[in-house]
Amino acid sequence: MSGRATEGLLLAKCLSCHARFAPPDVPCPRCGSTGTETYRAAPGATVLAATSLEVPPPGWERPHRLALVEVEDGVRLIVIVEGGLPPAGSRVSVWADGPVYRARSAEPEGAERGEGDVPGTGTGPTPL
Amino acid sequence: MNVRVASVGIGRFGKRSEGLVELAAEAAEAALQGIGRKTVDLLVVGTMLAHGPNGPLPLLPRLAGRLGLESANGLRVEAASATGAAAFHAAVTALEAGRSERALVVAAEKMTDLSTPLLTRELTSALHESEAASGATMPGLGALVAQRYLGRYGLGPSAVSGVSVHDRSMAARNPAAHFREPVTAAEVDASRPVALPLRLLHCAPISDGAAAVVVEKGRGPATVLGLGQGFDALRVIDRDDLTSFGATRRAARAAYEAAHLTRKSVDVVELHDAFAPFALVHLEDLGFCGPGEGAACYEQGWVAPDGRLPVNPGGGLLGRGHPVGTSGLAGIGEIARQLLGEAGPTAISRRPKVGLAHAMAGLGVQNFVTLLGGSGA
Repeated sequence: MSGRATEGLLLAKCLSCHARFAPPDVPCPRCGSTGTETYRAAPGATVLAATSLEVPPPGWERPHRLALVEVEDGVRLIVIVEGGLPPAGSRVSVWADGPVYRARSAEPEGAERGEGDVPGTGTGPTPL
Repeated sequence: MNVRVASVGIGRFGKRSEGLVELAAEAAEAALQGIGRKTVDLLVVGTMLAHGPNGPLPLLPRLAGRLGLESANGLRVEAASATGAAAFHAAVTALEAGRSERALVVAAEKMTDLSTPLLTRELTSALHESEAASGATMPGLGALVAQRYLGRYGLGPSAVSGVSVHDRSMAARNPAAHFREPVTAAEVDASRPVALPLRLLHCAPISDGAAAVVVEKGRGPATVLGLGQGFDALRVIDRDDLTSFGATRRAARAAYEAAHLTRKSVDVVELHDAFAPFALVHLEDLGFCGPGEGAACYEQGWVAPDGRLPVNPGGGLLGRGHPVGTSGLAGIGEIARQLLGEAGPTAISRRPKVGLAHAMAGLGVQNFVTLLGGSGA
């Protein structure tokens, strides 16, 4: 969690098919090439969808919040959400924590949604 | 193809006291009864969890022994929640290759006596390890896909509740279904959240159950017209599109091409709707309506037994139940019964000529499409 805003996110770029992906320490998920190059991206991401798992898997506490986010260059991540559930379209900051990614709302105070709100309602269509 | 479904046996789904072998044998014996004194030379068994009282169970030799099929050849097939469809495809492929004259396909799953943590772990094994490491579950990722879908087309969460209402009303006609009571949209919308927008009644139940089908050389009302399958990236984040399953589109294209048919020829459909919103996505991916139009098919009654395109007359996964490895074969069996005129209480208003069964592994990782129908179709 330390220095999460300053270090940025480590992503990878495939030297064969130019796909960008994370986590960076694996072969290219699109073409399987091991010829990849890592780079640092800004830690900001846009929430595509977020939910709270009412029945988390064994070993996880409730509420367990997950989001699908898009960082720089269109790289998508599944992130564990700290704090309130961010609505689709809002901004979060993302950091790597061992084998997983975590995120927290980067919107001004009070913009987060509460527990009972339904994400995805009232926001209208979101761009693909 | 010169392969047809000769007979179908589907046991009652739900919480059953019998073990895996007994459930499998019950469905198998029902299917074998339909072919009289004819014999099978191949037994294809599908089970995902192969759950016995003391851990995984070798279902194939146990069932072969139980059915007295020791001299037949045997295969066990596994493709997560599409296992039953994969087993059917394997048997048809063996017949086509000349390795069998008549095959018995059996899919069975025993789930209700597994503890929730163990079951969650088993079912989560179908996800990518990085997603599982984040504490993701099948409904958790399903919720993210559903939310993307609803958001893209500007639909509210209750837009998908019609799928649950429809499946449960179809299941009420099916004596073998897990749920026999219909539900209202208000009940679906008031059921407890699982991972919003998914609520309990948007999710298929955990069921025990088995299905069996005999396939043989020849043609008839339930001839295999085309088989198709397709893969997609295991990680949801690597998909090109999150509001459509590429694996279904690829499987459908392959099956339609093999059958020299288009979706216009299809008279009845069984969809793999483990989560209600997925039924809408599947209708669109199979070409039955345009993107974002799936909910309207339900609202306008197209999917009813007397509608333009009857869907899930057996109750679907939400109503008939979802013994994971069995569902794919149960869908194929239901379509075959409709075509053979043997559907009984679940029969749609007009006897169909062509039917389509769809099955999905995991979160759309490997999907199957099976087209059955009269050989003149």
